[in-house]
Amino acid sequence: MFFHIVLERNMQLHPRHFGRHLRDNLIAKLMKDVEGTCSGRHGFVVAITGIENIGKGMIRDGTGFVTFPVKYQCVVFRPFKGEILEAVVTMVNKMGFFAEAGPVQIFVSNHLIPDDMEFQSGDAPNYTTSDGSVKIQKDSEVRLKIIGTRVDATEIFCIGTIKDDFLGVINDPAST
Amino acid sequence: MSHRRRHDDDDDLEPEEADEEEALEDEEEDEDYDNTSRGRKRARSQFIDDVAEEDDDEDEEEDDDDDFDGGRRGAHRAKRRSGSQFLDLEAAVDSDEEEEDEDGEDDFIVDGGAEIPDEDDGRRIHRRPLLPREDDQEDVEALERSIQARYARSSHTEYDEETTEVEQQALLPSVRDPKLWMVKCAIGREREVAVCLMQKYIDKGSELQIRSVIALDHLKNYIYIEADKEAHVKEACKGLRNIYAMKVMLVPIREMTDVLSVESKAIDLARDTWVRMKIGTYKGDLAKVVDVDNVRQRVTVKLIPRIDLQALANKLEGREVVKKKAFVPPPRFMNVEEARELHIRVERRRDAMTGDYFENIGGMLFKDGFLYKTVSMKSISSQNIQPTFDELEKFRTPGENGDGDMSSLSTLFANRKKGHFMKGDAVIVIKGDLKNLKGWVEKVEEENVHIRPEMKGLPKTLAVNEKELCKYFEPGNHVKIVSGAQEGATGMVVKVEGHVLIILSDTTKEHIRVFADDVVESSEVTSGVTRIGDYELHDLVLLDNMSFGVIIRVESEAFQVLKGVPDRPEVALVKLREIKCKIEKRVNVQDRFKNTVAVKDVVRILEGPCRGKQGPVEHIFRGILFIYDRHHLEHAGFICAKSQCCVVVGGSRANGDRNGDSIASRFAHLRTPPRIPQSPMRLPRGGPPMNSGGRNRGGRGHDSLVGSTVKVRQGPYKGYRGRVVDVNGQSVRVELESQMKVVTVDRNQISDNVAVATPFRDVPRYGLGSETPMHPSRTPLHPYMTPMRDPGATPIHDGMRTPMRDRAWNPYTPMSPPRDNWEDGNPASWATSPQYQPGSPPSRTYEAPTPGSGWANTPGGSYSDAGTPRDSTPTYANAPSPYLPSTPGGQPMTPNSASYLPGTPGGQPMTPGTGGLDAMSPIGVDNEGPWFMPDILVNLRRAGEDTVMGVIREVLPDGSCRVGLGSNGNGEMVTALPNEIEIVVPRKSDKIKIISGSQRGSTGKLIGVDGTDGIVKVDDTLDVKILEMFRLAKQAQP
Repeated sequence: MFFHIVLERNMQLHPRHFGRHLRDNLIAKLMKDVEGTCSGRHGFVVAITGIENIGKGMIRDGTGFVTFPVKYQCVVFRPFKGEILEAVVTMVNKMGFFAEAGPVQIFVSNHLIPDDMEFQSGDAPNYTTSDGSVKIQKDSEVRLKIIGTRVDATEIFCIGTIKDDFLGVINDPAST
Repeated sequence: MSHRRRHDDDDDLEPEEADEEEALEDEEEDEDYDNTSRGRKRARSQFIDDVAEEDDDEDEEEDDDDDFDGGRRGAHRAKRRSGSQFLDLEAAVDSDEEEEDEDGEDDFIVDGGAEIPDEDDGRRIHRRPLLPREDDQEDVEALERSIQARYARSSHTEYDEETTEVEQQALLPSVRDPKLWMVKCAIGREREVAVCLMQKYIDKGSELQIRSVIALDHLKNYIYIEADKEAHVKEACKGLRNIYAMKVMLVPIREMTDVLSVESKAIDLARDTWVRMKIGTYKGDLAKVVDVDNVRQRVTVKLIPRIDLQALANKLEGREVVKKKAFVPPPRFMNVEEARELHIRVERRRDAMTGDYFENIGGMLFKDGFLYKTVSMKSISSQNIQPTFDELEKFRTPGENGDGDMSSLSTLFANRKKGHFMKGDAVIVIKGDLKNLKGWVEKVEEENVHIRPEMKGLPKTLAVNEKELCKYFEPGNHVKIVSGAQEGATGMVVKVEGHVLIILSDTTKEHIRVFADDVVESSEVTSGVTRIGDYELHDLVLLDNMSFGVIIRVESEAFQVLKGVPDRPEVALVKLREIKCKIEKRVNVQDRFKNTVAVKDVVRILEGPCRGKQGPVEHIFRGILFIYDRHHLEHAGFICAKSQCCVVVGGSRANGDRNGDSIASRFAHLRTPPRIPQSPMRLPRGGPPMNSGGRNRGGRGHDSLVGSTVKVRQGPYKGYRGRVVDVNGQSVRVELESQMKVVTVDRNQISDNVAVATPFRDVPRYGLGSETPMHPSRTPLHPYMTPMRDPGATPIHDGMRTPMRDRAWNPYTPMSPPRDNWEDGNPASWATSPQYQPGSPPSRTYEAPTPGSGWANTPGGSYSDAGTPRDSTPTYANAPSPYLPSTPGGQPMTPNSASYLPGTPGGQPMTPGTGGLDAMSPIGVDNEGPWFMPDILVNLRRAGEDTVMGVIREVLPDGSCRVGLGSNGNGEMVTALPNEIEIVVPRKSDKIKIISGSQRGSTGKLIGVDGTDGIVKVDDTLDVKILEMFRLAKQAQP
């Protein structure tokens, strides 16, 4: 789920960047530092949409670096248990398949793939129904439900299922 | 066990016993009467039990009595009682249990209990007096009173609790009691002998002066006789067969109790429990109990047979059977067809008892492929059996799915540890009326678990026996395995199959099947056992046979090692002792484009089965990279590849992390050299290339060489490796790796290409060492040359990156021009940007237009703006500060800086690094020098054309080469730029030409390759030398 929230961060800036462009530098650095990171609480920071305010800088003893508290608005993405997501299959193997929804990697175990879909090994491993009408392979788009998440410092990993109503392949690049 | 009692007091008891007897006989006809009489007896038995403990025990052992009693009872009813008085099978002295069996058998025994008054009479004083004073007291009345007094307030059931240690002590035999004598008898006739003695007693009456006879099931060859004197024993044994009274041994008083103590292990071997075989071929094998014969102490178990059919066939046909003791056939289901093919007679029989059909092969019974074997209870162990999943899986036959699971559960539950359930655990009821009720544990008492049911309308908490509960998990739970083979691993529950969970391991991304009982919910992430001994998961280890690999999995006793074989993934299971050592060298190698690859650099694989994969390098050894790709699922994400098959993807983002703050200082130094006026006229490069005299001119005794690992090339220490401790003029003191000593070697005799722990990786030392390149030497080439020779080349690489970093941060520096430069620096874009070629860097190597110097100059300017002194000496001290980013996060920003610039998608963040290195890499820089020489085989990679093979015919002064196309150089002659030329890496037994080093120009034969080193036999001297592969080029066939 995406959220638009306000976060705060203390940015340290080298004195070299002081001057007219201080603010720009600060924002550029903030973006670079923050965008794409992941925290367990908020999930992935997708984009910074604006700066709420930049506090007063404090010079740090010894280094000359200045610390600015920056409040910024950002869009974060955090997957939740039970959430329905659309994801792109990145890898298929006999244990299941991996899919990615933006930065989140989701694993769908073969136990959580409908029973009528069987693993077909080969050049392009895939899961196919017995009549061959539905096929999950690399680059397929699937709709899945997250049943569990594990949050690391830098990564959120999810386990999903497509063994439920209205879940499964929504767009197969191979067929189009 | 038989217990004989003196019976001379029968007469006294006559009236009462008659009464008893009457009751007994009546009971079969009249239940009501039985009840009343039993009630009466029960009341009396309260007195009896405490006084005559043995009598009480009879209740428990009644079943066993049947063997003896049953027949006799049927035959002579009159005798029955008297017989029972003697029989006291298995007096469980230790057993505090008491049963309140109220069936007919009980009456029978209580009847025995009616002997109490004997004791009251004092004629049985020897029978462990309960209270000391009772010994002296002959007065029945008084005894009765005392007993009344003791038990008036307590009910019968409380008896157990009152049996304190002290009272038990009081029961112990003393010197005044009769002694126990151990008498030898025929093996297997112990019971018989005891019964014979009993019969003799009955016949002879009081003539026999022994008190009791004890035959123990677990003691073969001996019986115990209780008597006051040895003579009495001998007397009793006289005339009996099977008993050898020659030697009668006295049992010491202290050991007397042990004779009659029964360890109350009370293993109830029930059907369907899992056991393990203790001895024989099947030792350690899991078996399932199918039948228990308590009397004969035998059990029938179901096993997976380990039968060598061929051997069996031979045996059955009477052929010679070669006994191979060491060989234990693997467990395999019996295949009747297979047996028939070997002409083994298979009989199909119906078991009379169960009605099941068994296949009988050579006396062994088989059913459904399982072997049914009847063994002694002693040969199986039933305690702490923890069947593994695999074992259970094997036992599971199609028809057995349902109850098979249940039976395994019962065993598993028995093995539960204490404190299995904790408050808050989610549980599910698996047995009884409440089956499938889910809930949460609220409180745990001894056996009962109070759960808060999930369902509404139920009481707040329910007490459930823990045996009826099972932990409950839902898909998506993150759990940790707390027992069993996979102990310690964590993962997410993917599926719940009854009692079994399928877990996706966090680290291996594999499915693990575990019992719900072995799992707890947990948020931590571990891979389970990650180390055995000194070796940890993901360590690079050297194995016995000199092969090496990365530990990709730690199993209970062994490691799985991905071997360093680049062509195909080879996994070996390795025991701890097979590992020689851990390899912790920090080596740098060169990738396909001669970029330096260090650990943590991100590389992409260009060739081989894993082409296209990319990830950080975790280990480097002998030119083999171990790359970790988290998207690679096999082998824990590790891929093994030759360094030549890889390309560094951009500078290494990890560089910053690796070097810490020193990165800034490094940049500071390294940026300087380009600012040194580039003299187009290089000094002639005489002498061995590594004779970097310039290095020494710092005159402070420090040298970049210090601390680096070198190899001695000549002299008595030839071939040794070591660390440079000190440099003094032309001599270098080297601490040898293999010998604990420091030797002095001529500087010309070492090669510092070994690239282990190169000084620039070494933070504190770096500043001083790295001065070398920026010595304002008059020979600017030297500093270049040196780094290029040794992995020190990297400083340049790093140095080249700095400017761009600087630019990124310097608001006054326009962004775009440098970016162009980066693009140009990128080898890939070189290839695709023909317009760049005219101004090819090599042609004017050291002039400003080269990408390398181009960058360098720019930052040079901005660098000085930043106010860092130009003087090289204080650089170390000063340089860090301006660039010292106090947040580590700030460091890697350099390459990334492009990433947030609009219009640079992807940012090619790493490009500059590569470009920089490439621009300055030996070929590019030193093109005409040591690198290219005539008659070597090269690949020409030109933009827009396929790679073609050619032979260098001539090296032009500007660095480009005249190349004759074709593998022998007879084709068209073209002029190629150095960056289009790639030296063909020689293979084993190729003719080679040494293109750099002191042997430059020599030809030879490559007789072997050891990682990055080639073993070369030089043609003219016939010396065998070890030279780095990049110094070698394949020689063209004439």
